[in-house]
Amino acid sequence: MTSLAVFRSNRFLVVALLACLLAGCGDSGSGPAGERLLSVSAQWEPSSLDPAISGYVYTRMQIAETLVNADDEGQPLPGLASDWRESGDRLSWHFTLLPGVRFHDGSVLDGAHAAWVLNRARARAGALSGAPIAAITGSGNELIIQLTRPYSLLPALLAHSSTQMLAPASFAPDGSVKAVIGTGPYALVRITPPQSLEVRLSEYWRGPVPAVTAARYLAIGRAESRALIAGSGQADLVFDLDALATERLARETPERLVSATTPRTVILLLDAGHPALSDPRARLALSLAVDRDRIAAAILRDATLAASQLMPPTIADWHDATLPALHRDPAAARALLAELGWQPAADGILVRDGQRFALELRVPSNRPELPVVAAALQEQLRAIGVRIDIVVGNDGDIPLLHHEGTLELALGARNYATLNDPGATLAQDFSHGGGDWGAMNWAETQVAQALQALAAGVDPAQGALLRRRIVGELQRGLPVIPIAWYRQSLAVSERVSGASLDPMQRSYRLDALRWKTREPAR
Amino acid sequence: MIRLGLSLLALLLALAVFGPWLTGVSASAQDLERVLMPPGLGEWLGTDNLGRSVVTRLAYAIRLSTGLALLSVLSAAVPGTALGLLAAWRGGWVERLLVMLADAVLALPGLLLVLILLAFAPGAIWPFYVGLALVLWVEYFRVVRAQARTLLASPQVEAAALMGFGWPYILRCHLLPELLPILLTLMTLGVATAVVALSTAGYIGVGLRPPTAELGLMISEAFPYVFEAPWLIIAPVATLLLLIAGLACIAEALRRAR
Amino acid sequence: MKRIGLLLATRLAQALFLALGISTLCFFLLRALPGDVAFRIAASRYGLDMVTTAAAEAVRAELNLDLPALRALGHWWVALLRFDLGVSAITGRAVWTELAQQLGHTVQLAVAAVALALAISAPLGVRAGLNPGGRLDTALLAGALLLRAIPPFLLGLLLIIAFALILPLAPAAGHLEQGTLFLPALTLALGLSAPLARIVRDAMAQVSSTPYYAFSRTKGLSEAATFWRHGLRNIAVPVLAYLATQLVFLIEGVVVIETLFAWPGIGHALIHALFGRDVPMIQGVVLVMSLGIVLFNALVDLVCLLLDPRERTV
Repeated sequence: MTSLAVFRSNRFLVVALLACLLAGCGDSGSGPAGERLLSVSAQWEPSSLDPAISGYVYTRMQIAETLVNADDEGQPLPGLASDWRESGDRLSWHFTLLPGVRFHDGSVLDGAHAAWVLNRARARAGALSGAPIAAITGSGNELIIQLTRPYSLLPALLAHSSTQMLAPASFAPDGSVKAVIGTGPYALVRITPPQSLEVRLSEYWRGPVPAVTAARYLAIGRAESRALIAGSGQADLVFDLDALATERLARETPERLVSATTPRTVILLLDAGHPALSDPRARLALSLAVDRDRIAAAILRDATLAASQLMPPTIADWHDATLPALHRDPAAARALLAELGWQPAADGILVRDGQRFALELRVPSNRPELPVVAAALQEQLRAIGVRIDIVVGNDGDIPLLHHEGTLELALGARNYATLNDPGATLAQDFSHGGGDWGAMNWAETQVAQALQALAAGVDPAQGALLRRRIVGELQRGLPVIPIAWYRQSLAVSERVSGASLDPMQRSYRLDALRWKTREPAR
Repeated sequence: MIRLGLSLLALLLALAVFGPWLTGVSASAQDLERVLMPPGLGEWLGTDNLGRSVVTRLAYAIRLSTGLALLSVLSAAVPGTALGLLAAWRGGWVERLLVMLADAVLALPGLLLVLILLAFAPGAIWPFYVGLALVLWVEYFRVVRAQARTLLASPQVEAAALMGFGWPYILRCHLLPELLPILLTLMTLGVATAVVALSTAGYIGVGLRPPTAELGLMISEAFPYVFEAPWLIIAPVATLLLLIAGLACIAEALRRAR
Repeated sequence: MKRIGLLLATRLAQALFLALGISTLCFFLLRALPGDVAFRIAASRYGLDMVTTAAAEAVRAELNLDLPALRALGHWWVALLRFDLGVSAITGRAVWTELAQQLGHTVQLAVAAVALALAISAPLGVRAGLNPGGRLDTALLAGALLLRAIPPFLLGLLLIIAFALILPLAPAAGHLEQGTLFLPALTLALGLSAPLARIVRDAMAQVSSTPYYAFSRTKGLSEAATFWRHGLRNIAVPVLAYLATQLVFLIEGVVVIETLFAWPGIGHALIHALFGRDVPMIQGVVLVMSLGIVLFNALVDLVCLLLDPRERTV
């Protein structure tokens, strides 16, 4: 049996190890023509080609673009549409598209196709499904959107990744997406869903030629693994770094770290219709029990992230500095609950009419800090007599349970810039009937009305007034309890410079990067 | 050898029983101002990411993990041994049926079964018992059946049967003493498997609910802090190693004594 | 020939039993999901905003959820026997397509892990077996125990620290760069090689104490020649047989290792499916894994038959 003679002890060991070292199912750090390949790593997986599901990955990698862009505060900027105006009766919007924009396959973007793509996006789940749109038509370089009522937030919605423009050849006859052919600087060369994709500079790109001409995106779900990749320098850009890795990088190689606050808040969602939580004093008591400063310092590793209200100061429009900050006062919390008739039982947990103050807290597992924050909250609420049971699960559980009406408490990291303008996201969360990531069974009509008025469009003075009213009501009524703000971090390798973070998380800004050295490294 | 094993186990037992009384704090008492403190005079094994005392949590964890692991191992060992003895005793179609069943179950990935059951009943403990028992019993069955077959054919058992002793006596005096060492070895490995399974479940996110103090869960919770606070992960791993080493020493000593 | 036929028949029966068992479990899991299952699946396909009762009803009819349990189970089994594994509840694509993409990666990892494990454990085990009770022997025993008590993700992390951070020899994670196969395969291999080395040692110790082995030395053959002629083939059979049973450990390890190293195999897919309550995908992955084990076991049985002439004559 000569095949077994391969068991040549040590020599085989060495050969096997070498073989594994050289194996791997891809190429190395440079492309075929010796061009350097930028390696990008982040948490989110491109599980589907459909923009409604994974569109944000393609816009971030600058493969596809939207009609409207957004600046660092979420205000609309021209994108594929160079200009837009509202009609006199405020019931239609007229967009002018950039002339001669080509997709990666050479076809030209025109109004008719843009209208088709938007109508398709409207029929599926996405940003446009909540807007009061009557019809979308287009031809030549024009696009017209008819509304059923005035809606000034429309441009902000058109900056959402689910409305990205893809070439006619991207779509199969049944409307499903078979390829991602966009208008951005980088064309999709290869995709291995849900893990990775590769892009190369498109010959039809209309802007200046970027320094980075080829890039690769790798989705890594575990925060520790991303931190290890950032530490070993294997990837050039590592997004979605957790608090520990950020702290470590800041300490060891601060020049490789880029950090920015983002309009994302860790909130405690609750069922305002639950018998224990329906009285605003009960919600206030829960809020008073939370030690935000310690949670921010010990778990999120940054004491300044303790939330004093829903929006951080960087979102100036929606942050009211005059509002009394959320603070900690366990004694007051206990007094409030006693006022509502809760009495401590032998084990320290409050009881009222035979019912224990016990709630189930759902925590998504995709953000590593959330289960730890949940454990801290569990202990802090136990101190005032409220028993919390933590259930770690999927973040898709929360909207589902909300719909089914069985959600009691949930922890989430809500991005208030999902629809770029925080007003649009707040409208989604706190209008009549609440929202999946917002209020549940909260009967507060003032806020809903104010949000609707803002959406319809008002003058700046009136707008400021309405915003202050909304923020104040949210602070008093507490349909969700803000815990902490968020900071996003990026680790940059030594090969590139010019990296920056987009607070709106719409783009990885690859075209702004520059290579540091002349010759291809690795 | 046996003294080494017993002393290791005694050490762990002492920690489990007296630990909380000595430190005076509860396993879930958090102190967010003193997180990730290294081992020192105040806190013998430091504090974890929520400021909880590691030594106290370890004490409770030893209790829980040993209990869980032993229970799941027993829920595999008892049916496995019983069926193995049955197969060896009865022979014939009973044996053939049981062997086929064992072979069929052997290809079932136990951890996956545990994970699936856990994903649908998050934080519950029964999936561990069910999953581990369902998969581990085969090992005991095979080993016991093989050993029992040779033993039952031996002259001692034949003589005992001729003298009129019934099967309870033969079981107690002839079979079990021979089987005990190898069963103990298997159980040691089983305890390790059980705790590692709990740890893996915690890593994936379907483990026991916080703030439960359990060895495997402590390992997976301490994992992100490996660079900042290595003692957090060294403590539970070392404890698990000591537990396994203690059991293994006793098992090996018994094996050598035969 | 009759022996081979019997072997294949037993393995086929085992495969069928497993397939039906797993699929029944998944069927009941689907039914045990809290809340309205049809609504959930429709919601994950079309998005919560767009779900209508019509969509939920369509899903209900598609999955036969309104039929009584036994009839629905029958439908489920029939679909399985037709090799129709259904459609993923999350992405809406056929389970077969998803599995096909990911299986190749996992097989690559598994083969590399087994090769490394054999390469590590065979020489160590043989040396220890030839000197039973020696220092290497006790070291191997201790090492095996140590590796058994360390969870695989921790072992993987230690290897990453050693080989990617301290000595920049291999990439830390991913699957696109050169050498990304090394660390995940090594992690799995170390876990496998611990018990494997013991088995090799036991087999070697047993074989080297046999009369024919001693006679070979008496004949005048060198130690090496004795080993190659008489030792190797005789230890190969129990080692291969044990490897077959350890395959289950490999499968379980793959799940965690693929998550840690971001390797796009079916283990990674299983975790996603578990969290997304994607029952068709869970069923598909577990079936593929279990049937893979059965297939591998059948192959090993055949190889053992070929290797050992004594087995051929019943």
